Amino acid sequence: MTDPTQQVPAAMELVEVDVAYHGDIRILRGLSLKVRPGMITGVIGPNGAGKSTALRALYGLLKPVAGDVLIDGKKVTGLPPWKFIDHGIALVPQHRSLFNELSVDDNLRLACWSFRRDRARVEAAVERAYAQFPMLRDKRRDMAGSMSGGQQRFLELGRSLALQPRVLLLDEPTAMIAPRISAEIYEFIAGLPAQGITVLLVDQNVRQCVRISGHLYVLELGQNKVDGAASDFQKDSGLRDLIAEWVDYRIDA
Amino acid sequence: MELLILNGIVNGLIVGGIYALVGVSLTLLYGVLRVVNFAHGEFVIAGSFFAYVLFTSLNVPPLLALPVAAISFFAAGWGLYYVLIPRLSRSDDPELMSFLMFYGVSITAAALMLLLFEADSRSIDYSFTPISIQVGPIYVSTARLVALAITAVISAGLALFLFRTLPGKALRAAIMNPEAIQIVGVDIVRLSAFAFALATALAGVTGVLVALVFPAFNAFSGTEYTIIAFIVVVLGGLGNPVGALVAGVLFGLAEQMATVFLPQALAQIVGFAILVGTIFLRPSGLFGTSTKK
Repeated sequence: MTDPTQQVPAAMELVEVDVAYHGDIRILRGLSLKVRPGMITGVIGPNGAGKSTALRALYGLLKPVAGDVLIDGKKVTGLPPWKFIDHGIALVPQHRSLFNELSVDDNLRLACWSFRRDRARVEAAVERAYAQFPMLRDKRRDMAGSMSGGQQRFLELGRSLALQPRVLLLDEPTAMIAPRISAEIYEFIAGLPAQGITVLLVDQNVRQCVRISGHLYVLELGQNKVDGAASDFQKDSGLRDLIAEWVDYRIDA
Repeated sequence: MELLILNGIVNGLIVGGIYALVGVSLTLLYGVLRVVNFAHGEFVIAGSFFAYVLFTSLNVPPLLALPVAAISFFAAGWGLYYVLIPRLSRSDDPELMSFLMFYGVSITAAALMLLLFEADSRSIDYSFTPISIQVGPIYVSTARLVALAITAVISAGLALFLFRTLPGKALRAAIMNPEAIQIVGVDIVRLSAFAFALATALAGVTGVLVALVFPAFNAFSGTEYTIIAFIVVVLGGLGNPVGALVAGVLFGLAEQMATVFLPQALAQIVGFAILVGTIFLRPSGLFGTSTKK
């Protein structure tokens, strides 16, 4: 089956995936999507296009009724969400994924569950999160739910990165976040590939997503409408018009 | 009158301790699995019969029956989880189907106990020496005081587990955010099985204490405890273990004080009045900060 001309396999991949809610309402219809290693893959599209659904299907939170999920070219369809950490894949979902009534420190330690018996490794991971976002160290005894939206987002990012993932999946990382903090978050994400972290970014913020992505997917009605290198989207006026039409945003040349 | 009140308080604490344990186990189960266990009361009474059988046929005293019940019921709960829940999660509407399923388990468990022990009320003919102890101006049966001490120890141990250990925090985290707990790498199936086993073990242990504190029990007593557990869970806030512990004691005190001040017929409805009042006035419970998504 191996094709010698094929490049490095995608870090993660959806192959002709169908996802349905309540039996027959299809949210994804034969969606194929590759998370290319070493860069940011952006996913944009209008509301209801299935962006978040695609990401949840990738992470095992939704089971496809058809199609496959691949990690490094290997089929893992049906892998439960808690196994992805072991494959070096972390997710920061759109809705808050913190434990509000646990302290910041406990939130970090709980994320080390899969290696909880290795105390040195746990301490190192927690320390990494504090080193990355020093603000968290000052708040370590505070309840996670008592922090501001931006601080909570940094805790979620720090918690995921503390586990040193190869791949980070992000779902609208700046939804409901103040603009100044948003800019900071995008700078941070843009720097991840340089640290060897592959990123899949699902976003409503088309401008920022196009700006920092290396490869772009435009979804519509649960299907892959168009995809290509982000630079092509900026060069090609036809693609620019298409994006303007689909997501009501015009990319500047 | 003072003696009656003092008696009411002491008995309220003793009975309340039992209610607290019944409630906390049901609330843990609901919090983590989001299923309502209508059979919880039957599990408790099964614990009472467990102690009864150990005592009558093997001469094992109730205090020794406690750890045996804890281990046996934990194992039974673990097994029962894998029999029941995977079937449930394959249905279209697991939460709704859980009502039917656990109602079925409740009927089955009661019928099974009826088959084994018949309809007569049973009691364990075991007494401590001395039979009663003087507490200030009143005398309280030693068995009841021992039960109170045990509920206090179990409650404290449970609180320590939930607030000071990582698995305990994982259980609370699963109640706070059931999706996020999976994202951070916790196997929710195993954690749920553990929660089910823990709740069943607590129910079994509570049953042994019921046999110590209350004069008698029979195959039909389970429903009574299920209802009490519901009142305590609602009063303490759904899925709030500390709330359930406090609410259990408060409910026990209210019930016992009602028997002091109100005619007996009226005292019976105090529990329901509290349940209805809570739902109307504080639907999230006395200590409900709510379990946000």
